[in-house]
Amino acid sequence: MATAGHLGFSKQAMMLRRKFLILFTFIVFLCVAAVAWIISSLARRAFEKANEERTVALVAQFRREFNRRGEDVAQRVQAIASSEFSTRMALALSRGVPDYAAYLSEAGNVAQNQQLDFLEFLDSEGTIISSAQWPAKYGYKDTSMPAGTVPPSAFLKQEELPDGRALGLCAVRKINVGDKPPLVLGCRRIDKDFLASLEVPAGTRVMFYQNLEPGFSPQILIDASGPIQRTDPIAPLIRQVQQKQLEASQLIHWSSDPAEDETIDTIPLPGLDGQLLGILLVGNSRRPYVELRQHIGSTAFFAGFAGMLIAAALSGWAAARITRPVEKLAHAARQVAAGNWNTQVEVSTSDELGQLAESFNHMTRELIQQREHLLQAERVAAWRELARRLAHELKNPLFPLQLTVENLLRARQQSPEVFEEIFQESSSTLLSEIGNLKAIISRFSEFSKMPSPKFERVDLNEVVRKVAQLFQAQLHAPGRASIVCRLELPVSPVSVAGDPELLHRALSNLVLNAMDAMSDGGTITIRTKQGGHYAHIEVSDTGSGLTPEECERVFTPYYTSKTHGTGLGLAIVQSVISDHGGRISVRSEKGHGTTFEIELPLNEDKLQAQDVVGSASGAIS
Amino acid sequence: MRRTSFPLFVASSLILAVLASAETRPRYGGTLHVALRAAPASLEPSDHGVVDFASLIYDTLITVDQRGQSQPCLATSWQADPGNQRWRFLLRSGVTFSDGKPLTADGVAASLRIANASWKVFADAGGLIIERDSPSPYLPAELALPRNSIVKRESGKEVGTGPFVVSQWVLSKKLVLAAREDYWDGRPFLDSIEIDLGESFRDQVMALELGKTQLIEIAPVQARGAGIESLRVTKSAPAELMALVFAQPSGSAQEQQLRDAFALSIDRESLNKVVLQGGGDPAGGLLPNWMTGYEFLFPSQMDLTRAREARAEVPHADVWTLGYDPNDSVERVVAERVVLNAGEAGLRLQLAPGNTADVRLVRIPLASLDVHIALSELAAALGLPKPNYGSDSIDDLYGAENTLLQSHRVVPLLHSPHEWAIAGTVRNWTGTRDGNGRWRLPDIWVSPNKP
Repeated sequence: MATAGHLGFSKQAMMLRRKFLILFTFIVFLCVAAVAWIISSLARRAFEKANEERTVALVAQFRREFNRRGEDVAQRVQAIASSEFSTRMALALSRGVPDYAAYLSEAGNVAQNQQLDFLEFLDSEGTIISSAQWPAKYGYKDTSMPAGTVPPSAFLKQEELPDGRALGLCAVRKINVGDKPPLVLGCRRIDKDFLASLEVPAGTRVMFYQNLEPGFSPQILIDASGPIQRTDPIAPLIRQVQQKQLEASQLIHWSSDPAEDETIDTIPLPGLDGQLLGILLVGNSRRPYVELRQHIGSTAFFAGFAGMLIAAALSGWAAARITRPVEKLAHAARQVAAGNWNTQVEVSTSDELGQLAESFNHMTRELIQQREHLLQAERVAAWRELARRLAHELKNPLFPLQLTVENLLRARQQSPEVFEEIFQESSSTLLSEIGNLKAIISRFSEFSKMPSPKFERVDLNEVVRKVAQLFQAQLHAPGRASIVCRLELPVSPVSVAGDPELLHRALSNLVLNAMDAMSDGGTITIRTKQGGHYAHIEVSDTGSGLTPEECERVFTPYYTSKTHGTGLGLAIVQSVISDHGGRISVRSEKGHGTTFEIELPLNEDKLQAQDVVGSASGAIS
Repeated sequence: MRRTSFPLFVASSLILAVLASAETRPRYGGTLHVALRAAPASLEPSDHGVVDFASLIYDTLITVDQRGQSQPCLATSWQADPGNQRWRFLLRSGVTFSDGKPLTADGVAASLRIANASWKVFADAGGLIIERDSPSPYLPAELALPRNSIVKRESGKEVGTGPFVVSQWVLSKKLVLAAREDYWDGRPFLDSIEIDLGESFRDQVMALELGKTQLIEIAPVQARGAGIESLRVTKSAPAELMALVFAQPSGSAQEQQLRDAFALSIDRESLNKVVLQGGGDPAGGLLPNWMTGYEFLFPSQMDLTRAREARAEVPHADVWTLGYDPNDSVERVVAERVVLNAGEAGLRLQLAPGNTADVRLVRIPLASLDVHIALSELAAALGLPKPNYGSDSIDDLYGAENTLLQSHRVVPLLHSPHEWAIAGTVRNWTGTRDGNGRWRLPDIWVSPNKP
């Protein structure tokens, strides 16, 4: 019982420490999580803002780059228009019908020299003299040429090619010879090579959609590496720009991986007539931002994890520091419960726990003093009770002795003739009462000299049956109300190591006690059972029952609630049970009978020793 | 003064005379470097890319001269039996292959049987007999075709009786030929000829300008530039047909109308003037006018009005794909122009580089100066039925050619010449080929001095 209690206290202490540990760790976790969330949230906002600014800067940079390319094309076209070759050609043209054969491949050669993708020499009417992109088109009119004035800066133009249409960043310049100056039209084709040649910052890519027809055609959306494989996410944005012809920006999710997200800014590219010819899309990868965010997240996670570990260690240390005095107190309390009332707790602090320890020490000191006082009082009470019982027991035989002696004296003085007869009778009475005195003294002597149990294998069921058989006649004796004795015994024997005589005597006392309590008849029930390492015996009656005060004192020697009796019967029962290492308790309610419960250890070690001795004896015999 | 000036005049005249004679006198030795676009995969004379230099390695039984007349070569004489189905040829004696072994009638028969599986060719006493399934009045000219060169095939190598022997052959890349001392018609002037194969027109011109080669082919546009830069440019009479060939016969009258509209929409004059730089002739027929004298009878003028009318009579016209050789810049420009011209007539064509198309632009060299053989070979190359000549008359020839044109399978565009640029060190370049369009390189020599 003490061990179980110790474990219970230890578990409670451990639970307390664990609670402290969990509480502290949880608080630290909350703090770390809150800090990480706040930092992450602030960082995300800051990065979002920086990303937006970067996107704006990138788009602006791209516009500058695009304009610079336009200026570059214009410069190249101007250089061609100012060249000696162009002047000679213009002079030749001014003299009559152009010799297309002479210029069939010239536009191609010049375009190659000037690194232009498209180049056309046109007369003042827009008729192609020589074309680099479509040499066979000599003599045909370029219907897409701007009419009237020559645009001063580069512009976008849709160029017809043998295999389709392409968009060019073009410039046109006059060859200033004659009244009808020929024109030079040069372009850089806006294709994947053009996109690849653009100087764009890292993490940025440029896509191009040539607006050949209404609606979205996935195969003509390209970037610097060629056609884009997956275009679904970007299609709505392009359709929006096609409809509104306004710049737009959208975050595009290419996959479930947020690092592949892109902020796409669109730049509609109209021609000279305002018609939408193409759409440039500047994609700004969010990978750096996502990676930075993930880095911060992972750093916060690891910092939080490390903080958690440290917090757990510190919490463990703090919890141990807090709970150690409590554990000491619990240990001391267990010592006190075990009977070691001298236990004192070391007081190392002056805080609440120190005060608690001081109070505990004060309490144990008070308990010791109280116990001493109680013992003295109990001793006095016991002696008084003993004196009262002795006086009561001795008074009964002494009173007839006194009467008999007084009869003898009176008979000798008043009736000597019958003295002899009276003497004989008185002597007989005196001897009888003296015998009663001796019997009383003998019982007291017996109680004081209870024999030690001689252990052997005892079947409690057998002991119970013998006791029941012993009292069978008395239970149904004429002149008294009938009492039924009911045995509830298991089939298998309930074996313990015990003294069969003493156990028989204890059970007999309990049965006698029950019979006394049922003057109007009733039922005595005796049960045995075995559970774990203990055997249990219950003796119940349906008698008048006991008050709680009587229950508390019922095992006190010389205490009895009956008008007769020495008050030693139940004391003897308790003594026997205690000598067997067991315990007895009473459960009763006034008017509803009483139940005595006996718990006896099996004393298996003694049983085994008994078996060994028995077998050895058997072997010898 | 007079006394001193006269000896000086005599001396200088002698020196100039010696120098002049040195320029014109044939010179043995030297290597001629040649560059060609063709990249043949073998040295079989039937390979299209080998035609240019086949006569350097191989001989034929008969050759065709500039007038289209058959002339003896390995065969010294020949005679046909009545009906022109059986021919007897007498072989030249003392001819050896380049490996030193003598030419025999059996060897010639074996070579011709490989080239013509349907022929019956066998040796006869002192000669060779060829029997055909049908009358073959033009067999001598046919025997002059490069594919009928006499070849001895041993261990996977081809050996000929020509003036040069193969000393190095890098597949489709390079061919080096060495002169044969024992050639039956006399040793060539050149010691060797190195031919770089698969060279583009541009690379050829660069190689010529850098002095790395001495004889190149050039495109018409380059010919004009070469002329400006005073390079020696020479060209043949129009000896190549550029034509559009439909992959399928015209199945219906509407299809024929569309093809007529297509033929009428093409401005051949402009193509010749601009793309060929005026070097060729607009073609209405398959054979050039200079060969037949009647080619002008076939219309070659663009008539856009009629073309549009013909097109309008057909309610629906599919888009035709037009195939061409994307590596040939001339073909590319011509094809693009054809698309533009057809578009004006309401016909839609889509360029499709390669051979798989509804219409293909082809360039076919004339195989022979013999008109009958030339027309037959053209028809075979175009996938047209073999022409049927009733007689040797020009009327029957015209009729046969007209029949081919009326099939609506072919639209002649241009007859173009072959053009070459030659380094100044090359002497005795006549600018002509033999009757089968082959160079006569054995007759030229290389001067060690630059002009």
